Amino acid sequence: MSKLVTGDGRTHIASNLMRESLVDRRVVAKTHSDREFSILPDVVLVSLGGQSIFDRGRDAVLPLVEELAEVRARTKMVIGVGGGTRVRHTVSIALDLGLPTGGVAQLVGAMEEANAVFLNALLAKHGSIVMQREHFWELPLYLDGGMLPIVISIPPYHFWEPPPEDGPLPAHGSDFGLFIHAEVLGMRRIIFVKDEDGLYDKDPKKHSDAKLIKRTTLKKLEESMPEELILDRQLFDAWKNARHVRQVQIVNGLKRGELSRALAGEDAGTIIEKEQADV
Amino acid sequence: MSDRSRIESTFADSTLTSSKAELDYRPVALMPDVKVLKVGGQSIMDRGRKALFPILDELAAAKDKHKLLVCCGGGTRARHIYSVASDLELPTGVLAALGGYVPRQNARMLQMLLAKHGGIFMLHDDFEKLPLYFRLGCIPIMTGMPPFAYWEKPAANGRIPQHRTDAGVFLSAEVLGSRRAIFVKDEDGLFTDDPKKNPKAEKIPRISAKELLKSDLPDLVLERVVIEYLARARFCTELQIINGLERGMLTRALEGEDVGTIITRD
Repeated sequence: MSKLVTGDGRTHIASNLMRESLVDRRVVAKTHSDREFSILPDVVLVSLGGQSIFDRGRDAVLPLVEELAEVRARTKMVIGVGGGTRVRHTVSIALDLGLPTGGVAQLVGAMEEANAVFLNALLAKHGSIVMQREHFWELPLYLDGGMLPIVISIPPYHFWEPPPEDGPLPAHGSDFGLFIHAEVLGMRRIIFVKDEDGLYDKDPKKHSDAKLIKRTTLKKLEESMPEELILDRQLFDAWKNARHVRQVQIVNGLKRGELSRALAGEDAGTIIEKEQADV
Repeated sequence: MSDRSRIESTFADSTLTSSKAELDYRPVALMPDVKVLKVGGQSIMDRGRKALFPILDELAAAKDKHKLLVCCGGGTRARHIYSVASDLELPTGVLAALGGYVPRQNARMLQMLLAKHGGIFMLHDDFEKLPLYFRLGCIPIMTGMPPFAYWEKPAANGRIPQHRTDAGVFLSAEVLGSRRAIFVKDEDGLFTDDPKKNPKAEKIPRISAKELLKSDLPDLVLERVVIEYLARARFCTELQIINGLERGMLTRALEGEDVGTIITRD
């Protein structure tokens, strides 16, 4: 039974953190643990690119829809989608208007939600469902019922987007949002479906001599982070402190079967792993 | 294979992972005259009527002069939640979602007490209705917690969410374009150590974010991320920490007096 403690003008509930300042590093360190509970460890998160997949229309989207419909019986997965060119247009207009970073962040999610609705319309007959953020804890229910949940990828930072380190662009985009979604649920793997064979040392759309990185680790990537990235920088920053996500894979969704191979645990595209020693 | 369909714009070919140096960005302050303030959880709410009622009197007296956005902290119940959740080995995002309940309760308590003066409880989703609330002469009251919840990123050390009610208050002020956020606590400001534990701790009347981070104090009066964000803020360039237990301090702070401690961006 919890005890109420008084005597300093405040009423406390007895606990390890009672009376403590939660900004005191010494106090925060006491809450550290290496064996955090995994909520849904066997689920894989699959992200479909906005610009790379959706903006190409049926040629790119429909084969992936077929592939997802086929593999879903074998794999428990959650799908996320990016926003693509409409997000870039939103950002361009919003910044020209001088909207603050939080205002831009408030706007961009709508364009991704539209892609989630597109995908849901195409996958509905295979049991897809768009999971609204307020229904966070219905995810296990959907999975248990054999549904294919599509989650909103942009994180709900909205007006409260932190000031970016550099420039006015919100730093917490859809890749980061999906990463955190996987992390909080204790998932181990995320697969990003894009229109390139994986991660390159520079943007392969602009440089013909860009080299594909087939397998790397988070640590190695940290040491030589490419200037233009195929994924949000925040994803890598967050990954350093993450406890659950072990592997991020990037595959080419324009090549039939690559996603299925990745889901089967095969070496497709780029595999980035987090060293166990980092934990 | 079809090409990507593309809407022509400045960022059309950008990965949005790096900023454009040549960008002509002239930010607009949305509601610069709003005063965003936080009523502390452990420091004020958990003290009950004795601490809170005089503050409510000051708020009621100030509300026709200033546009006040009142945000609430958590306090001892939030600490209890974090403690139990840590014991159960739950991840940071779950702690952040759970930590949201207590400041919301506190905001509801404040709303009930300020109702007769126009206190109105608002959710994050109501943020865009602030102009309406002010036009009607209301005192909007919300949780200090930002809406990150399950999407809160894990910290390097420990599992307490890094963005809590101080962060939410600062970020609200920043997006509104308000110059100064006010934190109503139970100490005269920032000290060199926790004054509740170390009687030799000295008050710091004014300090910059950079100096504060460099001083590497184990305990800061505000959440660490807030000081880090302050250093690169565009609008909210000052944080003021005042002692709400001292009658009149809040009124003086609302009038723009440099009481308590001021932490500055530069």
